[in-house]
Order: sequence, then structure tokens, then C-alpha cells
Amino acid sequence: MTPPARPPTATSAPILELSGVSKRFGGVAAVNGVSLALAPGRIYGLIGPNGSGKTTLFNCITGIERRDAGEIRFRGERIDGLAPHRICHRGMGRTFQTVRVFPEMTALENLLVVTTGDLARARARADELLRFVKLDRLVREYAGNLSFGHRKLVEFARVLMTDPELILLDEPAAGVTPTVLIELLEMVRSLRAEGRTVLLVEHDMKVVMGLCEMVFVLDHGEKLAEGPPGVVQSDERVIEAYLGR
Amino acid sequence: MNLVITPTMIGQVVISGLLAGSLYALVALGLGLIFGIMRVLNVAHGPILMLGAYTTYWLFSTVELDPYLSLLVSMPLMFVLGVLLQKLFVRHVVDAPGLSSLLLTFGVAIAIVNIAQLAFTSNLRSVESLTGSFALGPFAFSKARVVACGFAVGITAAAFLFLQKTRLGKAMRAVSQNREIAQVCGINVQRIHMLAFGIASALAAAGGSLVAVMVAIQPGMGQVYTVKSFVVIVLGGVGHYPGALVGGLLLGLVEQLSSLFLTTQVNEAVAYIVLVLVLLLRPTGLFPGRSQ
Amino acid sequence: MTRGFLAGLGVLLVALALYPAVATGYGLRVMLQLFMWIALAQSWNLISGLTGYVSFGHVAFFGMGAYTTGILIVKLGWVWGVAALAGGLTAAGLAFVIGWPCLRLKGPYFAISMLGLNEALRVLASYFEGLTGGGYGLSLPTLDASGPIYYAMGGVAVAVTALVHLIVTSRFGLRLMTIREDEVAAEAMGIATFRYKLYAFVLSAVGPGIVGGLSARDHGYIEPISVFPIVTTITMIVMVLVGGKGTIWGPVLGATLLFSFQELVWSHFISLHQLLFGAIMVAMVLAMPRGILGALRQRYGLPRTI
Repeated sequence: MTPPARPPTATSAPILELSGVSKRFGGVAAVNGVSLALAPGRIYGLIGPNGSGKTTLFNCITGIERRDAGEIRFRGERIDGLAPHRICHRGMGRTFQTVRVFPEMTALENLLVVTTGDLARARARADELLRFVKLDRLVREYAGNLSFGHRKLVEFARVLMTDPELILLDEPAAGVTPTVLIELLEMVRSLRAEGRTVLLVEHDMKVVMGLCEMVFVLDHGEKLAEGPPGVVQSDERVIEAYLGR
Repeated sequence: MNLVITPTMIGQVVISGLLAGSLYALVALGLGLIFGIMRVLNVAHGPILMLGAYTTYWLFSTVELDPYLSLLVSMPLMFVLGVLLQKLFVRHVVDAPGLSSLLLTFGVAIAIVNIAQLAFTSNLRSVESLTGSFALGPFAFSKARVVACGFAVGITAAAFLFLQKTRLGKAMRAVSQNREIAQVCGINVQRIHMLAFGIASALAAAGGSLVAVMVAIQPGMGQVYTVKSFVVIVLGGVGHYPGALVGGLLLGLVEQLSSLFLTTQVNEAVAYIVLVLVLLLRPTGLFPGRSQ
Repeated sequence: MTRGFLAGLGVLLVALALYPAVATGYGLRVMLQLFMWIALAQSWNLISGLTGYVSFGHVAFFGMGAYTTGILIVKLGWVWGVAALAGGLTAAGLAFVIGWPCLRLKGPYFAISMLGLNEALRVLASYFEGLTGGGYGLSLPTLDASGPIYYAMGGVAVAVTALVHLIVTSRFGLRLMTIREDEVAAEAMGIATFRYKLYAFVLSAVGPGIVGGLSARDHGYIEPISVFPIVTTITMIVMVLVGGKGTIWGPVLGATLLFSFQELVWSHFISLHQLLFGAIMVAMVLAMPRGILGALRQRYGLPRTI
């Protein structure tokens, strides 16, 4: 599978567009009428207090949860209602907050399993990516035996194996050592340099401020604000939401 | 096979269906309780029902204890067994990866059935107590079934009251909704789990004692109740306890209605076909909503 | 796999191929049954060991194969070998029909649906008397064919084991394992989990279907309780649990160990037999959930090809 040519500028049509997306669990609206648009080739942040619906929104976008209302368009086409593996094949990849590697498979197998087509080429790409995340020494180690930070890197490399246009990262900075964090941030920037789009959920505001060009703020399942990180940070409603009014 | 179906016959099967369904609801509530609280599907639920039936048979044949009074023995006895099973075995696999808990309770089920086989042989036993039927207009009701239905409704209602009204019951529902939060709130989750397993087993035992009067008792009688209880849970929606009631009555009705067209011999197949159809058409159960 | 291991395996296969020339009738029957258990255990391993979807009713496919073969031989006069292959096909067809709804479900639901399937089939086999002979059973014309059935059974055991080897060493096998490891993550990573489960399930039904047919031919008589006994499923599961689920040679080891014990020791305590199986199942889950080979692999970091 060769990816289609990436749009050259950030001013072209949005790569991901949500309009009025809602998801309820029983009587609780976890996500309520969220609309947003991501231009290709940029890094976006999704922030908000605990329980504000960030992970649920990720799950709706990637098809793991079915949205109850609203439309989700990816590269111009509707993807709401599609099975997660179909959405993935269209060029969207994600990581999980809890880090979900396949524990009884080696680091290398974790990467190979998500590929299709020529095995030798997949193998070469996997080696390259494992070097990229500096795990080339641990290729044959079972993922379940790796440290949390290393598992996170395996998961990160695994996403890249599918060569996604849009990458959703759920708390990439949580629980990793400062050195690994610096590497991770560097990698995310290099993804942008390749023309990929990144949307990340993050609690560490320093990471968000240093990395993201645009930030969306969720509170109680609704979009509270959006804008460049500096502007959003001084928005009164946002401060209020974080302080828990 | 009778090909002419009269309204009386339909009325009769509806009543029989509801009578049978009340028992299914009672037994399934137990299975659903364990599944809801610890996500363990207890394959030994049916075999525990079988032990309840044998308790009743044994008390009846040795000291001629009334089968309905024997509920006072079989339920506490199986409560204790349930607590022990949880404490000794199931506790270790509640959060184990994969399907350890299924395999474990399957192993326990096999062991229970075969211990019963050794202890009671595989000869068919029966409790000849309440026979005959009432007649009401054109309908006939087997006395044993009516009384069993009465007890089933009573015990199920008591279980619901316990879950809804008492502190312990509320704690159990809290654990089934979110274990971590319940733990933080000072609920002793291990104790709740043991209690749930005990109550569930007592409910199965009640079902066993009640059917003892109606069906042949033998060590292998329980397995079909595990499957039927599971069908009931799926019909009613997992984690939605009142769903067990509706699911139980529905299964009873469907089984009896099908007996108009097929022999009762195929009852077990009917339950299964219902299961497959529901899974195919409404994978979230007939009444989703609160199920997770 | 080392060269020594392959050479040993070759010698063993040749010895087994020559065995009928020197075997007593009893010896041949014992080996034939061992082959049957290897094929059954390995098939259960294919779906449950690899994908983690526990099938509590795998004997249903055995029974389906037995009835298909029996009916084809009795009613249509088919040759037993072809009839047994047809048994494998109908079993696969049944797996497809049942798997389509049931594999959409998560683990416990699937397990119980399979338990129910077996009960339902047994009841239906009794009900459709015209075809199956109902409770009276179905008698097959007498035929002394232990030799050919020995080879056929052995062939199935080898074929299913080779298939599992092929799967485990391929990306297809890795995809099946992701279902066991983390189904949601697998879906999110682009793996069409439902389709892979269905493939594995259908493949896992073929072996039991053929073996059921061969066993029907061998016994010359089938009835609902003799071809749908839950104890057969239990035995398959225990064999795999002991040997190591998800490994290639675990089911072979487990089948050999348990079948030998059964023949040598437990046949004298027939009533304790199943009780012991239940106890072993509980003990394995609690003490050694990976089974013998799985534990060895874990401890010594052995490759996946054991």
C-alpha cells in the first residue's frame, strides 16, 4: 500500500472534520455536539479535565465506540459507522492511554502483525522504525516484559507501521522518563515534518504548549474553546474548567 | 403431533410458559449477579442447581422433609459452597487474562457433576410429593409448577429488595458498576465477591429444590440450566438485573409455544436457537440501555 | 527448528507408518485413538489456544462429521474415505453458520453458545429419526478397516499439526494471536478480527469433522449420546491445557501424556476419570496456566515454534 501524496500546504481541505458528534452512556453525555476540523500537516492538542470526554472522542473517531449523532469525515469521506480496522486502513492510527501492546509477542512481531503485503519490505520497515525509537536491542523481547516506557515506544512504532496520515496519541507523555519524553517529542515533530497530522490528548501543559499549533479544550463533553495554546491558556472559561467551578 | 391449534391451547402454553419462565428468571438472576459483579461466567451454576435438587431429594427420601421446607436447607448449604468456591478458586482468576475464569469454572463444574455421580450414581431420582393439577375453566395447572412459580417469584423479589434497599445490596451494585471507585469508597470488594457467589449459588439451589418435584434428578441435569440462564441474561441485557425477569419469562414462553409445533424433546434446541437469533439480530440484548 | 529435531520427527513418522506391519489389533486401535486425540486437541488449540476464544462445544463438529459420514455411507453408499472428508466439510459449514453470529461476541458469550450448540445438535440428532435413526442410532455395514483408518487418522493428526505450525509461523497466525492478546487494539491497528476469528474457527472444525467420520466408520455404530459427549470436549481442553495452549507441540504432548495415563492407569478407575479431568483443569488454570511447553518457553525464552 503506497500512501497517496500528502497535501503540500496546511491551507488545503481539512483532513479530519467532526460536526456535532455526540456519544451518550446511559443518561450521561460523554461527548456532546463536538465540531472541529484539523488541517493536514499540523500538530493539534486536545485538552480538558479528567472525564471531559477526550478518550471517548478518540474512541468515536477511531470507530471503537459508535457515535450516537453527528458526522465524522476523514479526508473528505464519512467514516462514522465504519469498523475500526477499516478506519485504520484509510490512514488513521492511534495509541492508547493505557498502552496496549500485544504482550506475548516480541517487539518485532508487534510491528509485523499490523502489516500486509510483502513481508521482507515490512521487516525492513520494522527494523528501521525500531531503530528510530531506539529499541533495536530489544527486537526479540516479548513486549509484555518491556518497561512501561519501552512498551509505549513499541506502540508508537506500531502505529507508524501502518503509515497513517493522521495519528491520534492518547497521553504520549504520561509515565515516561524525561529522556524518553524528549525522544518522543522529537519523533512527533519529525512526523509533522513528513507532512503527517497529529492529534494528541495530553495533561502535561508544557508538552502541549511546546508541541501543538492549535488546541481544543473539552469540558463535560463539549468543546469549550479552541485556538493557539497561548490564547487558550489565558481563556477564563478554560481556567475555570480546570479549577473545577 | 396435533395440528389444530385452539385458543385454549395457546392460553395453556402461555400460562405454562410464564410458570416455567419464573424459574428461569430465578436461576438466571444468580448467574447474572456473578457475571455483572466480577465478569466471571460461572459454568458451575447449573451443577450447583443440581446439588440443590439432590439436597431436596435426599432430605425427602431419608427424613421425608417437605420439598418446599428443604429450601431452608439447600439454600444455606449452597450459599456456603458458593462462598468457598469463590474463596478457594475463583478469587484467583477474577482479573486473570484471557478466559482463565471460564476454564476454571468449567473444571469445577465437571468435578461437581462427577462427585455427584460417585455419591448418588447416575440413576434417575424423583421426589413424589405434589402431584396432580388444578383446573380453572378450560385450563389445567400442574400444582407443583404453580407452587414453584410462587416460590420463585417470592425469592426473586426478595433478592431484588436486597439489592435495591439494603446497604450490602447497594454495595454489591456499586462493585458491579465500578470496582475501583467502590474500593476507594471503603467497600471490601473481596467480601462482596464472596457474598455474591454465595447468594447466586443459593438462588441456583432454590431453583434446584423447586424443580426437584417436577423433573428427573440426575447428575447431568444442571448443564442445561447454565445454558438457559445464559440465554436469559443475553435476552435481558448483561448487567441489567431486572432484565433477567423479562428474559426468563420470554424464554419460558418461547419454549412452550414451540412445543405446540414440535415435541418438548427439542426444548433445549429451542433455547439455543433463541440465543443464536438474539445474538445475530440484537447483540446487545433485547433491552440494552444500561448494559455496558 | 533444529536439524536433530527434524530428523527425530522423520524417524518417528516412519516408525509409525511401519507400525501396522507388526502391531496387534489392540496396539493398532490404541495408536489410532491417540491420533484421534491429537487431531482433536490440536484443532481446539487452533481456535482457543491461538485466538483465546474458548469453545466448550467442539465435539459438535466431531458429531456432525460422524453423522454426515454415517448417513452418506448408509443411505448413499459412499466410500468411507470420501464420506469422512465430506464430514470435514459439513463440520466446516456448520462452523461458518454458527461462527457468523457467535464470533461477533466476546469470550464468555462464545463459550456458552458453543456449549449450547452441542446440546442442541444432540437433541436434533435424536429428533430427525428418518435421517439419523434417532435414539436407535445408525449401524454402518461391517468392514474390517483398522489399517486404513489407522493411516487416515494419523494423516489427519499430522495435517492438523502441520497446519498449526504453518499458521503460528505466519503473519496470519500473529493476527490470530492479537485477538487473544488485545482484540480492541488489534481492531484499531487495522486487523479485521472478526474475519480472522471466523477463518480460524472454520479451519478448527475440519479436523474434528473428518476424525468424527473416521471414528464412526471404525465403531460401525453411532447414536446421539456416543458422538456428542461433552466429555470429548473436556478431554480436548484438558490435553491442550496440560501440554500448553497456543504452542505447536503442546497439544501433541498433552494428548500423548493424558491418553497414555488414561490407558495405563485410569481405565481401572473409570468413575474417577472425569472427576480427575475437572481437577486437572482447575489445577492447570491456577498453577500453570501456560501448560508444560508454555511454561518452559516462558522460563527459557524458547521460540514460538515449540
